[in-house]
Amino acid sequence: MTRLILLALLGLMLPPTTLAGELPVVKERLDNGLTLLVRENPSAPVVAVSLLVRMGSRWETPQIAGISNFVQAVIVKGTTKRNGGEIAEAIAGLGGKLSANGDTDYSEIRGTALARFWRELLGLTAELALEPALLPDQAESERDFLVARLQKREDNPTTRAFDTFFAKLYGAHPYALPTLGTRQSLARIDHQAIVAWYRRFYRPERMVLAFSGQAPAAEVVAEARRLFAALPPATAPAIDPPLPAPTRAGGRSVTAQPAQQTQILMGSLAPRVGDRDYAAVKLLSTVLGGGLAGRLFVELRDRQGLAYTVNAFFDPSRDPGSFVVYMGTAPENGARAEQALAREIERIRTERVSGEELRRAKAYLLGALAMDRRTNARQAWYLAFFEIEGVGYEFPARYRAAVETVTADDLLRVARTYLRPLTTVILHPPDKR
Amino acid sequence: MVRSIRMRAPIRSLALAALLLSGFPLFPGGSRAEPQGGALPRPQRHVLPNGVVLIVQEHRASDVVSLQMWVRVGGRDEAPEELGLSHYLEHMLFKGTPTRPPGSIDLMVESVGGQSNAFTSYDFTHFDVVLPADQAAVGIALLADIAVNASFDQTELDRERLVVLDEMRLTEDDAERFLGRRLSEEAYTPTPYGRSILGTPQLIKELTRERLARYYRERYVPKNMSLVVVGAVDPESIRRTATQTFGRLGGEGKPRAAMPPQPDPGGRASDVPRPEKQAYLGLAWKTPQVSNDDVPATDLLTYILGDSPSSRLNVAVRDRKGLVSTIEAGYVTRQFGGLVTVTARLEPQNLEKAEAAILDEIRRVQEEGVTEAERQRAIITAEANYAFDIETVEGLARDYGEAETNWTLDNELNYLSRLRQITGAQIQAAARKYFGDKDYARVRFVPERAAR
Repeated sequence: MTRLILLALLGLMLPPTTLAGELPVVKERLDNGLTLLVRENPSAPVVAVSLLVRMGSRWETPQIAGISNFVQAVIVKGTTKRNGGEIAEAIAGLGGKLSANGDTDYSEIRGTALARFWRELLGLTAELALEPALLPDQAESERDFLVARLQKREDNPTTRAFDTFFAKLYGAHPYALPTLGTRQSLARIDHQAIVAWYRRFYRPERMVLAFSGQAPAAEVVAEARRLFAALPPATAPAIDPPLPAPTRAGGRSVTAQPAQQTQILMGSLAPRVGDRDYAAVKLLSTVLGGGLAGRLFVELRDRQGLAYTVNAFFDPSRDPGSFVVYMGTAPENGARAEQALAREIERIRTERVSGEELRRAKAYLLGALAMDRRTNARQAWYLAFFEIEGVGYEFPARYRAAVETVTADDLLRVARTYLRPLTTVILHPPDKR
Repeated sequence: MVRSIRMRAPIRSLALAALLLSGFPLFPGGSRAEPQGGALPRPQRHVLPNGVVLIVQEHRASDVVSLQMWVRVGGRDEAPEELGLSHYLEHMLFKGTPTRPPGSIDLMVESVGGQSNAFTSYDFTHFDVVLPADQAAVGIALLADIAVNASFDQTELDRERLVVLDEMRLTEDDAERFLGRRLSEEAYTPTPYGRSILGTPQLIKELTRERLARYYRERYVPKNMSLVVVGAVDPESIRRTATQTFGRLGGEGKPRAAMPPQPDPGGRASDVPRPEKQAYLGLAWKTPQVSNDDVPATDLLTYILGDSPSSRLNVAVRDRKGLVSTIEAGYVTRQFGGLVTVTARLEPQNLEKAEAAILDEIRRVQEEGVTEAERQRAIITAEANYAFDIETVEGLARDYGEAETNWTLDNELNYLSRLRQITGAQIQAAARKYFGDKDYARVRFVPERAAR
């Protein structure tokens, strides 16, 4: 039997041709304030949903660090209708996956399913978000799993290096806090605090629900409206206190960590998504660390053989964002590698990039993003993410145009503006100096 | 094809750190997506006159094309003094040919918005380029060029040594990946599947250009190659391009050595002292090779045991007994002999209790069988894995390429319908036949302070 016949038998026949270009998105704001985004995508017989809530570590303090992620972990453990085991069985029966986690600016419930179960997936998402059980014993058992995950992040040299870096970079600002929290904060967060945190943030005007996949958009909108309209509108205005400015201190710190590799991170504060310099800084990170023809890869890996992994990240989902170059290398090469990284940063701050490099970076950046937006799970997340960050789901079109107009002079300007002062974090095996 | 926990070495992947860091969203951009319709056509399979297999499928989910070269050479083909050569070749191929100087290949691919990647396994090596669909012919010519014309520039070759040595360190620092490797060594030794894909530091330091070039000439020959093309392309024009490029390659090469029978892993055990404070437990049972009729039942059993939060091991060992932080079962599908593995992260004091609890759950399947609901969920999960692969051209191309190389394309296309026919009794029979109480290899990562 061929795959074609098989798909037909399963009811997975693919849909008729649609027009080229971006697929249309239906946007609705419900009466209670919830934002709904639906993209009908006929390309594969699957669907995905992403529910983002403005709740995350930017509203946390060191005493309750990790509480947003904790709430998300408990939410998937049961509702007033079903226990955690029944929920897990239900989602597996849809051919899907479901999970929830906290981040800095938002928390997410995300799910996928075979297209024919789109209604069930939406129903399950609504049930988790609106009717979680949040029972004391669920909180207790999740705490142990969270502490174990924390241990894993500390045990792994790379994750530990990044957590250390953000703590140094952001200082007194809540972005310095680990999303998972700390042992002390997790021990302190009790059941009552979890319920209160959920009630404070799970309000319709703080939520964006995005859907992408092979399902009729009008029906999806109607079903989502039916499910989420039950949520009463908020009665009092939300409290989003202003955040302290991060210190632009820079500095270098070395931590001992038993491992085969030395980790080196170097970076600085950066713009946030939608800022005037956003596209230029994206290109800056691509010239340095994007792809196999990026400067760091060519210079430090291909020419100097200093590392298997070398990369640049620009995370704009924070206010302010962060720019970081990363490298894992042999301990005996640590000093050389750090100098080489610093040299590359200095070079991009002082010399204009060539036309060829800029062209490559633009093509690679836009190509990589287009590729990343091919799955429905990523589509749903992108829609909701741009909306929750305040730039609107249609941001990619504006962004693409902005990238096209960036010049070599712009890159030089943003490199000089943002790549200082540098914060450097090094994790070094204690006995291999 | 059967899911595998793909114990192969991802090489050019830049995604590693991103995977480790959940706090890093990828960034916004434009879609060139050009969704289309019609039914997904059946892939066409052609054998070119020189033996290269071409698999091509028109798939217009977006306006990109995945071009993949699959070569029947991998870790299992290496003589003891050649360990690590398959993987080293994979690193060197994108470095250049007489007409493509070092660095120019990556620049060309990325300047049109494309991406490249490559993997080495025990049974195959795989090169993967995703390009805008109108660049398909350029991409096929590139793959055909590196397939036989790699230069192995001495300077480039020497520099790459350091990168491979660094890759060894990186693997060891990632506990989960390293556990997979150690478990495979434990279960497969002394066959070639039990060796390191990366080779040893000593061999990598001593590697010469002559030895690498000889290995390449012997192995990268038409009868060992498949080209898989999936995307917004016209199959007929792809066939013409492939015939004019891959179809003209020559070389006879050397036949692959026969594989020794898979050893019985029962009773093998290692404890590895590690810097992590948490412990890791890995168990591996021997299962049939990919062509065996018991594979579908064993595959479903693996789903039921440990694929999702609702799987037996998750419910019993993690949620109910609280003995582990994470637990999963995976199917390692090698051409000559598979493994089903159960791996867990846990507190060191629970190592023995968790192992006993895992065996209890397996015994329960052997004695009582599985429920109809479990069987159906496992089949739906398998169906969904296919459906999600259709979202990207490279996902579909990987399914086809691995099937062609290790199994057959027809088996792949029929696999889901075979899964659907498997009964609960067959799943129970597979549990009894392959998952004996004493038939597994075990590797434990024990925190250094607690190590014996």
